[in-house]
Amino acid sequence: MKIEGEFEVEAPRSEVWDRIRDPQVMGACIPGCEAVEQVDDMAYRANISVKVGPIKARFNLLVEVLEERPEHTILSRTSGEEGTRASVVTSDNVVRLCDTDSGGTRVDYAADVSVTGRLGKFGLGIFRKKADQLAAQFVENFRARLGVTA
Amino acid sequence: MTEVLSPLTVDDAIALLVEHDEAMPLAGGATLIAMRNASLVEPSHLVSLDRIAELRGIDRTADGTIRIGAMTRHCDTAACAELTGSLHVLRRAAGMIANRVVRNMGTMGGAVANADPAADYLPALACCDATLEIAGPEGRRSLSIHDYVDDWYETALGEGEIITAIMLPAPVEAPSAYRKIARVSGDYATASCAMALDPDGQGLRVAIGACGPGPLRDRAGEDALRGKLHDPAALAEFAGRLVALADPVDDVRGSAEYRLRLIPRLVASVLSELAPQKETA
Amino acid sequence: MMVKKVLHSLTLNGEEVQVATAAGATLLQTLREDLRILSSKRGCNQGVCGACTVLVDGTPVRACLTLTARCEGHAVQTMEGMDGDRVMATLQRHMVQSGGVQCGFCTGGVLISARDLLEADPTPSREAVKTALSGNICRCTGYRTIVDAVCGAAEELSQ
Repeated sequence: MKIEGEFEVEAPRSEVWDRIRDPQVMGACIPGCEAVEQVDDMAYRANISVKVGPIKARFNLLVEVLEERPEHTILSRTSGEEGTRASVVTSDNVVRLCDTDSGGTRVDYAADVSVTGRLGKFGLGIFRKKADQLAAQFVENFRARLGVTA
Repeated sequence: MTEVLSPLTVDDAIALLVEHDEAMPLAGGATLIAMRNASLVEPSHLVSLDRIAELRGIDRTADGTIRIGAMTRHCDTAACAELTGSLHVLRRAAGMIANRVVRNMGTMGGAVANADPAADYLPALACCDATLEIAGPEGRRSLSIHDYVDDWYETALGEGEIITAIMLPAPVEAPSAYRKIARVSGDYATASCAMALDPDGQGLRVAIGACGPGPLRDRAGEDALRGKLHDPAALAEFAGRLVALADPVDDVRGSAEYRLRLIPRLVASVLSELAPQKETA
Repeated sequence: MMVKKVLHSLTLNGEEVQVATAAGATLLQTLREDLRILSSKRGCNQGVCGACTVLVDGTPVRACLTLTARCEGHAVQTMEGMDGDRVMATLQRHMVQSGGVQCGFCTGGVLISARDLLEADPTPSREAVKTALSGNICRCTGYRTIVDAVCGAAEELSQ
């Protein structure tokens, strides 16, 4: 399942870069994120809870930065399991930053997510809707964190 | 490991749901037990509602309102002779759920509580302007079906709340119908349409299923269409408004784009069933 | 892991039984694992395939979606208890004759659904037979021989 999107924030690219590279900031902005633990400079662990109707899932994830080109591109991989290892999740992610004409930053993101196990039995169509909602919530939180409204 | 509790009253059921954090109410089981079998839900307790007399039966009240107890099975709704005219749509929807054996198990309250966007009752109930009777730790309340679905599989039901009955306005003499497009008989809908004509034949009520988190209904659009049911431009405009409200998923039952294309066709085909256009010589 | 067992009383094929089964067990689990009633098969365990279909108080239900706790005080009937049933015997004979049985996994569920249809409608059309069996999936026969068998049995029984 591919999840893609973009958003703009009225903050300079260097500032956006610093925040996106800070696991604690990311953890505070990701909806349902309960705990973030820095493993090393290029990796962190996170626990994220997601609820769709009666189905509650708690993911135990490792995020590894595979490659970074400072202040414009991050390639990362997310992997982990959910529940008592009932589902396995992997995701390859790309985040790109570029300047906007108004001095802000545009963030383009894309993730190729695969879910196997019990959650794989649930319709991917709903996952996509949920992912879009979580992304929208993330953007709102991220903007609030940067102290900008749009 | 799930413990099964079988309270005899609504109050006891709610007390049990409040007492146990990971408890879930169990209606017919047609969906919830399947989900538990697939480990999608792991309730510590299932509070079985099948021994609660208040949740059973279909009754007509003094003012003609019809009360369907939440534990009424699909087979009984599909066979209910009280559901005539404007409420016939609900009978039709009930008769198209899954298959004969599953209809012996599933209940209206359970199906509504689960709020599967592709299931059959919600569009039919939205077309009927139904009201839900809800009981919970804070007491009893009534809620319009139009205010019920909040999001994908998310409803206005709070913690410890259950649906006790579905209330339908007294039926009026006017045709109504339900149609669904599904891959095979008994599958969830790819898209569905519940429609009822006004008694004078000049207007209609339409709810579209499986094209968003909840049924799509455009009451302002319905008002604008009054008197113009056979005006192709007006009908196209109305269908276009429903398409604009839609937010379908891409899944194995069809792409989002396909679902959007089904909406105008469903509206036109159900309307031609309910109000065949008179041949003009 | 210790499995907590719960004692339930129900009527199985006309006899009162008490069975200790896992808490929250489905009727399918209890029938197969605790009572060794094997005509009800575990196919999808999702209520879709129909192979587990049994009667509770005379009504066909999915054993995989029915909790044993809910059967307390109710009558469960499976193929094992239908030896003397004329409709069932006729259906079985026609299923064998027409080739409606291949691997046999779906057969028990098909027969319970077919019998229920013939009780409600002794002279069903082919379409009615197909509709009544739409909740029973068969991966072998292609269904035609099954529909032939039900129609043949209906014809014989209505003579």
